Amino acid sequence: MSTPDQVLNYDLKNAVHPNRLIGLWRLITGFRLHYTIANLSLGLAALAKTGTYLLLQYFVDHFFVQQDAAVHAGIVALGFLVLAALEGGFTFISGRLAAQTAEGVARRLRNYLFDHIQHLTFTYHSQVETGELIQRCTSDVDALRRFFADQAIGAGRVLLLFTVNFIAILQLNTRLAFISIVVIPVVVIISFLFFRKVSKAYEAYQEQDAVLSTTLQENLSGVRVVKAFARQNYEIQKFEQNNWEKFLRGKRLLTMHSLFWPISDTLCGIQMVAGFFTGAMMAINGEISPGTYLAYAGLVVWIIFPIRNLGRLVVQMSTGMVSYNRVCEIIRQERESLDEGDYQPAGNLTGSLMFKNVCFRYEEGNIALEGITFNCQPGQVIALLGSTGSGKTTLVNLLPRFYDYTEGSIKLDGVELKRYPRRYLRQQIGIVEQEPFLFSRTLRENITYGIMREVSQQQIEGAAKAAAILDVIQKFPKGFDTLIGEKGITLSGGQKQRIAIARTLLKDPRILILDDSTSSVDTETEAEIRLALQNLMKGRTTFIIAHRIQSILSADLILVLDKGRIIQIGKHEDLIQQEGMYRKVYDIQTRIEAELEKEIANVGAL
Amino acid sequence: MSVHFEDEDFDQQKSLDRKTFRRIAGTVRPHWKWVAGFLISICLVSGLDSFFTYLSKRILDEGILAKDVQALTSLLTLYGILILVQAAGVYAFIYLVGVLGELIRYDLRRKMFNHLQELSLAYYSRTPVGWIMARVTSDTERVADLTTWGLLDASWAVMNILTAMIFMLIINWKLALVVLGLLPILLWVAIEFRRRILAEFRLVRRFNSQITRSYNENITGVRVVKALGREKENMREFSALTSEMYKSGFKAAWLSALFLPTVQILAALAVGTIVWYSGVQSQAGKMTIGGIYAFVTYITFMMWPIQDLARVFAEMQHAIASAERIFNLIDLEPDVKDLPGALQPASIQGDIIFKNVSFGYDDDPPVLHNFNLHVQRGETIALVGPTGGGKSTIVNLLCRFYEPRQGSIYIGNKDYRKLSLKAIQSRIGMVLQTPYLFSGSVRENIRYGRLDASDDEVEEAARLAGAHDFILRLEKGYEEPVGEGGGLLSVGQKQLISLARAILAKPEIFIMDEATSSVDTLTETQIQKGMETLLKQCTSFVIAHRLSTIRRANRILVIEEGKITEMGTHQELLRKQGKYYQLYTRQFRHQMERALDPFEQSSAA
Repeated sequence: MSTPDQVLNYDLKNAVHPNRLIGLWRLITGFRLHYTIANLSLGLAALAKTGTYLLLQYFVDHFFVQQDAAVHAGIVALGFLVLAALEGGFTFISGRLAAQTAEGVARRLRNYLFDHIQHLTFTYHSQVETGELIQRCTSDVDALRRFFADQAIGAGRVLLLFTVNFIAILQLNTRLAFISIVVIPVVVIISFLFFRKVSKAYEAYQEQDAVLSTTLQENLSGVRVVKAFARQNYEIQKFEQNNWEKFLRGKRLLTMHSLFWPISDTLCGIQMVAGFFTGAMMAINGEISPGTYLAYAGLVVWIIFPIRNLGRLVVQMSTGMVSYNRVCEIIRQERESLDEGDYQPAGNLTGSLMFKNVCFRYEEGNIALEGITFNCQPGQVIALLGSTGSGKTTLVNLLPRFYDYTEGSIKLDGVELKRYPRRYLRQQIGIVEQEPFLFSRTLRENITYGIMREVSQQQIEGAAKAAAILDVIQKFPKGFDTLIGEKGITLSGGQKQRIAIARTLLKDPRILILDDSTSSVDTETEAEIRLALQNLMKGRTTFIIAHRIQSILSADLILVLDKGRIIQIGKHEDLIQQEGMYRKVYDIQTRIEAELEKEIANVGAL
Repeated sequence: MSVHFEDEDFDQQKSLDRKTFRRIAGTVRPHWKWVAGFLISICLVSGLDSFFTYLSKRILDEGILAKDVQALTSLLTLYGILILVQAAGVYAFIYLVGVLGELIRYDLRRKMFNHLQELSLAYYSRTPVGWIMARVTSDTERVADLTTWGLLDASWAVMNILTAMIFMLIINWKLALVVLGLLPILLWVAIEFRRRILAEFRLVRRFNSQITRSYNENITGVRVVKALGREKENMREFSALTSEMYKSGFKAAWLSALFLPTVQILAALAVGTIVWYSGVQSQAGKMTIGGIYAFVTYITFMMWPIQDLARVFAEMQHAIASAERIFNLIDLEPDVKDLPGALQPASIQGDIIFKNVSFGYDDDPPVLHNFNLHVQRGETIALVGPTGGGKSTIVNLLCRFYEPRQGSIYIGNKDYRKLSLKAIQSRIGMVLQTPYLFSGSVRENIRYGRLDASDDEVEEAARLAGAHDFILRLEKGYEEPVGEGGGLLSVGQKQLISLARAILAKPEIFIMDEATSSVDTLTETQIQKGMETLLKQCTSFVIAHRLSTIRRANRILVIEEGKITEMGTHQELLRKQGKYYQLYTRQFRHQMERALDPFEQSSAA
């Protein structure tokens, strides 16, 4: 049952095909033999079942009617056992192989999608909704699993049972065979129509279930609002409405079922009785032997009743097909390669950069950056100033090649940036966002996240200390083993940022990107963050996205951006002399201090 | 009180608690007519199933072999009629059991939801939302399934086996005893299988939710993943997870695939015995052809009732555990509730006094110690200080979301425990730091403040809150849907709407927890304006972050470690140059920077 790596690592891009049936067939590459045998075994199991009835025919005719049996009854008894063993054995083989296929395909899909998604571009990620993506990776993959595990194989079973047993009855008596299937087309059509309708009713039921869940969830999450306005009765009414609607839809669904099954039962039953009557008359008239009648009576059940499920299987299979399309839409996206690039230095970068006329344009053609030209030496601090949407973030996103510049040139240590593999660049660049994303793992795991080497506890503590977060961590009862997101454990924005700083210290990158626009009020810790950041910036080429003068004063180069262009460039001392945006920002700071003094003075004068 | 929220899927093997059992029966009792109805119809259907085989036997023996066409015709006519009767039975049981199932689900959900409305905030703060959701959704599902389909399947199975045994005994009692001997073995095998399959399915479910969580994290954290180049490691972790899932899923599937064949082969043993026995015996002429047919059919089809019995039995334990959790929830007493004879005054205006109040959450160390405060009617109190200092706790106590451990709170000279919860809470207007809206339109959300408000009043409240203008700019104006939890609106917009909601409520006490997150300057000015109205009308408590709010408060309280460390007007405290002074100057710089940001202005222009 272990799956070879080559099957596991099959590139599912090949399974994307405009013809869904071909696509589905390609999806089970590596499992085709399994799946084919699974279906063959089903046929063999059906044959064994048929054999049981034929053996019954032989037994009755030769032991009872004519009493001319050439074998001992024990042998016939053994025959029944063998046939049952064969039927059971093949059913099991079929089930096991189908499960192996379905589970294997699902596992491969899950892995592929996971890896695929983390390799898709930022452009893609900024366009899609998380919930939708997750839905496709879970529910749709599961729908495909069921397609192979139950539906395709189930439909195969129904058809094989029908075929094998119908042929067997044909062998017994042609007329009887054709009389026995009169009603079948009707049953198939009714079943198909019914299940198409019922699947819609079921969807409606599920939709209402989602509505009800949302109502409940909102009530629970908004419990403070509910209580603050004493709206319990209103909430009860609202829930009651949705709850009752779900009941009604469930009732509708069941009413449909309660009609379909007796009606199809009746149709099939009448068909069976008609067959029995014809067969019985034939047996009385001596056209067929009692044993033949007996075999017929047994076989006919297997061509009539299973067929009722065909409609269900076909309808369900069509939802599997829809899921295939939805999954393919993700697979079809191009990955960004981590290794593409022909220049990979053995050691670390030094961190000198030359931007020359760099331009970045989104696929739709909107310009995000234009004519960006500047140089910086290793270890320098470059501050970026500008409004939201001025291009600050886009500019720094070019460095780890989250986006590739569309025109101009960026030289890193004298080599064109695009020649570096993304993996190497990202190893050399550290990013500390303003409110970093932390994973629901322990603090330790978050701090060592992405660090590709063994890290000792001492190193972790050292980094945490330098990031001014050690005290906070040690205050938690479980220390570094505290799970983020666990009950009661919430970190403030500033604390999260310091975790990210510790992580980046461990990573020890040559180039640093800092988002320093502290907009959240975490006033007590501002000084600590500042200290932590200073520790971090030592000896690294640093890009700071900043709003505030304090963090810019000491920068080696200040870029003021507006609408994707550099409108001012230089050092603080130079820029302060010029008319322009920078001076405005600076003036405001002085003005604020003046106003504050004035206000305090006013109070004192009272 | 410690509750395990994680592993409810892995219930201990619980002894069947008779009390729980009786209560489960109690939830069904009001519908006993439905239950009786579906039980009768399923027994009819099940009995007829066995009878059909018996009829087939008679058709063979009395019709075909006896060459009696008349007997044949009448037997087949009976067969046909009974098919119609059975169809009626099938209709009745599907309808009755199905609709009853929905009804019980509906009923349980309603009971739980209604009870949840009464539980105190303390319960909500220690119980994850997802856990409660699972109780209301999956646990009700399981209990309803057990009491309807489970009961039905079990009855069908028992009836089917019983009637088949009776007919077999009639046909040939010796052989019937052989089958009877085999039955317990079949049942035991089936139940063992089912248990193992069920256990694997539970594992699958658990892995599935872990996988979903991994997807979620990796997608929302994709920036970090890429920046840190952790793709390979993530993939390794994830594929370990999918391998586990594969193992469980595969095992569950092949166990299921093995289950029926095993039962089938065991049944074939019985068939073999009968064939061998009757083959030898036929010379003696004791067993008829029809008899053999009947036996073979009975035994072959016996695996279905056995499978059903095993399923119901295996799932029963979990359903009972579910029921227990449901009953525990329903039995839970709210921590805060009305005292008998609680007063319902029309107004609760008056001074608010905290007298020697001490309080802590759950068993945690106290947050407030011996807290005293006298607030005059109409005063505006600004609470400032570090996070975790106790500001929110003061507000929570005032709203009576929690009650003091020691000491008392007086509203209008009455110990507020003598008032009804509704009397207090319906007179409070509240704006939360992270404003919460319910899915629905803007109008519906504002109207939440006062349900009988007219459209004009809603709009007037929005105008006072400064929300009217932005609402009109929305595509559908007041009918614009706000999305789940208000997700379609910005934080600032949500704040304005929740302000309008509070204004509409015409409260006597106003509580606001100001947002720390940034909203644009224009929205902020509007929020200030909206607050004006309320601050003028009410006795107000504001957990304040904005300078203007702080400045215009009658009194400012600096709360640290559960105590008031400084108290006074803005001027008084500023002069003191203490804690407040530090807080204020920092906040001043911060806010001015944002207000004067030249970039904001240029992008707005």
